[in-house]
Amino acid sequence: MQTYAVKLKNLTKTFAGAAAVDGLSLDIEKGTITGIIGADGAGKTTLLRLITGLLLPDSGQIDIAAKKFGYMPQKFGLYEDLTVIQNLELYAELKDVPHDFEKLLEFTNLAEFKGRLAGDLSGGMKQKLGLACALMGSPELLVLDEPSVGVDPVSRRELMKLVRDFSAQDTTVIWSTAYLDEAHSFDTAVVMNEGKIIFNGKPQQLGVSSQEFEQHVVDFMGGYKKEDSPIAKAYKKQSSGVEFPVEACDLVKKYGDFYAVKKNSFCIKEGEIFGLLGPNGAGKSTSFKMMCGLSTPTEGTAEIMGVDIRENPSKARSHLGYMAQKFSLYGNLTLRQNLEFFAGVYGLNKEEQKNRIDEIIRVFEFEKYIDRNSGELPLGYKQRLSMACALIHNPPVLFLDEPTSGVDVITRKGFWNHIRALAKKGVTILVTTHFMDEAEYCDRISLFFNGETIAVGTPQELKENARAVTMEEAFINLIEAAK
Amino acid sequence: MKILFALIKKEFFQIVRDPSSIIIAFVMPLMLLLLYMYAINLDTVKVTLGIKNDDPALEVQTLIKSFSQSNYVNAVIYSDKELMYEDIVRSKLRGAVIIPNDFSRKLSQGKPGDMLVITDGSETNTASLALGYPLEIANIWLSTSKYSGSIRRAPVNAELRYWYNQEINSHYFILPGSIAVTMTLIGILLTALVVAREWERGTMEALLGTGVKKIHIVLGKYIPYFVLGMMSMFFSVFMCIVVFGIPFHGSLTVLFSVSALFLFACMGVGLFISTNLKDQFLASQTALSIGYLPALMLSGLTFPINSMPEIFQWCTYIIPTRYFVTFILSEFLAGTIWYIVLINSIYLIALGVILYVAVYNKTMMRLE
Repeated sequence: MQTYAVKLKNLTKTFAGAAAVDGLSLDIEKGTITGIIGADGAGKTTLLRLITGLLLPDSGQIDIAAKKFGYMPQKFGLYEDLTVIQNLELYAELKDVPHDFEKLLEFTNLAEFKGRLAGDLSGGMKQKLGLACALMGSPELLVLDEPSVGVDPVSRRELMKLVRDFSAQDTTVIWSTAYLDEAHSFDTAVVMNEGKIIFNGKPQQLGVSSQEFEQHVVDFMGGYKKEDSPIAKAYKKQSSGVEFPVEACDLVKKYGDFYAVKKNSFCIKEGEIFGLLGPNGAGKSTSFKMMCGLSTPTEGTAEIMGVDIRENPSKARSHLGYMAQKFSLYGNLTLRQNLEFFAGVYGLNKEEQKNRIDEIIRVFEFEKYIDRNSGELPLGYKQRLSMACALIHNPPVLFLDEPTSGVDVITRKGFWNHIRALAKKGVTILVTTHFMDEAEYCDRISLFFNGETIAVGTPQELKENARAVTMEEAFINLIEAAK
Repeated sequence: MKILFALIKKEFFQIVRDPSSIIIAFVMPLMLLLLYMYAINLDTVKVTLGIKNDDPALEVQTLIKSFSQSNYVNAVIYSDKELMYEDIVRSKLRGAVIIPNDFSRKLSQGKPGDMLVITDGSETNTASLALGYPLEIANIWLSTSKYSGSIRRAPVNAELRYWYNQEINSHYFILPGSIAVTMTLIGILLTALVVAREWERGTMEALLGTGVKKIHIVLGKYIPYFVLGMMSMFFSVFMCIVVFGIPFHGSLTVLFSVSALFLFACMGVGLFISTNLKDQFLASQTALSIGYLPALMLSGLTFPINSMPEIFQWCTYIIPTRYFVTFILSEFLAGTIWYIVLINSIYLIALGVILYVAVYNKTMMRLE
């Protein structure tokens, strides 16, 4: 009997002279779940693609014992213009397995959406469908490339359950992830850095609790040193005199008969970090869009710095910095051109533009990349650039829509360091996130479910309320109670 | 086989769901046919000519009358030459005829009569008509006038007969020709998007992660769009023959067989573009500029190939539409001519096979 499902020896793969995987050796035991973690650009995706045979190594050996394998790429590989059932049928035929989807549909809760186009599913459901396609035909080796990115804690727990229920005793699972608590629950954790493995062993070796584990992983990845935020230091506060810079008053959004947002009201104090949490499809993004005037509310209104977003959208928006869910900068403009464009859009004059951009280049440490196309920047810098563009006009209010989705733990820590420092300087911040450790940074949280607020309070209050130890537990308990 | 069938089925679901492929396959040919049928007319039209007569002889008045009564000329009589010139400048006139004062005198002396014809050289087609019509009218007038006896008759008299297109109706060749252009567009544009789309949306990575083989991916693209293209071809031919009443002298079997070869070659161009570029926007732009425009310009439909500079004549050999235009025109207007059918089929097969091999070789089973 073979004990190893995958044996890699001295594997090297270079792209344009830079090694993505660098002399890597790894044995993966049969029947285990292995988590691959590491910073962005550490070579996780390249490693998974080498294992699946989608890339050929420059040198080294790959031995794979499994004959049947399932693979879920980062973009899930779904045909968005086919229905749920058509996607399932297609993959069943491609893999030559029988068409009995009953159990899969039941476990993924997709049965009632059989006829819906895959493109119309919410993020969490797409991921479940992608996973279902990969799980089909009981593969001996399952390779999942960040299957849980951008997914709320409830759906993440369901994805995990799905994998555990559907993989047989001897199925080997390789799962790359940015969630360290997820990796902590696996049999083996592999930490990658610059194409090399820097830790391979049981997660418990690094820490009994998931916090301890995270601390060790961060240390492995080069550590994180908390520094004063030069970004916050450079921020010039404008005196506002408004008690609640952000106010949502009975926001309602209706699509036909469907209420995306039923009634949403909240007030955010100056310098407060207000978190909007909830499962995928709860109405967070819709609320967000109404708050910044990108979508007209069916009823109710919102005020930014006391300016009504419905009556005077452009004035209200001028007080606002917005960082969108996806990287929404111009990928084929250089970093400097992006800054100049946004400075121009926010109405800075020539003189102000020059001074402000020079200042931003200095505090964000952009010198190295200033003439690089922003599409080619490392992910961490892309994110910094998004933030720089949102802050270019010194806005008193900042809206962040899942700003850290798909970003590694160290970059996230750095990001939140800046956000908290900005809040201390009086910037009012509204943020959505699926990372529960980030939720802890918020001053107050509104938990959103089915278009309604089901709980508001400080993280401590929410945890007490739900009789939970961790934020994640609180989230799940409160959502379950509301169902 | 099962895998190929699954891929084809998937592609058809996508076609049905995506209105743009239906528009390309059916609405666009319809639009083009309507445009060619009702908006474009290469037949002769009346040319507006200015006439200035300086010859007071009575007989010349009948020549002026011939101009006025002509079916081909819109005659405007001028007494002031300067005014006439101004109207040419203002594009009111396409040309002008000036009859000098010694016109009838020379003719009665048995010498050739001189007549000045001015045309607008900025529009060469109209200019040649504006030149030809006055000459023809004057000659006919001459043979019936009293000077007819004093000049020598032309020893040869040409009796004109237009073969294949008795009525010289330009629609008879423009519409079948437009089918060729439309089919090029369909063959290339439809397929240029489909491989690039899979790469862009990340579905190719998932497909490669299953057990599909290269041949499945290539045929999985060729077959569905071939079927769609042939449906579009049936539709266009039906519109031409049944709805617009264009006479068809050939055999439908031959027509559709060669069309199939042509479509195969065009899809090769489109899939080759798509497989190489992996970007939908880039692929569609490339398809339009390297696929469609040469088909329109260099296929011999809009401009005759033998009047092109030699280097361009050579270029036309790699354009599949060139062979199809030659074939479809002869099939419609003259009936099946086996020599033309065979020679063009051989070229199309060769082109199609070369492109198929290129597409097959360029199809990647890995990510780089």
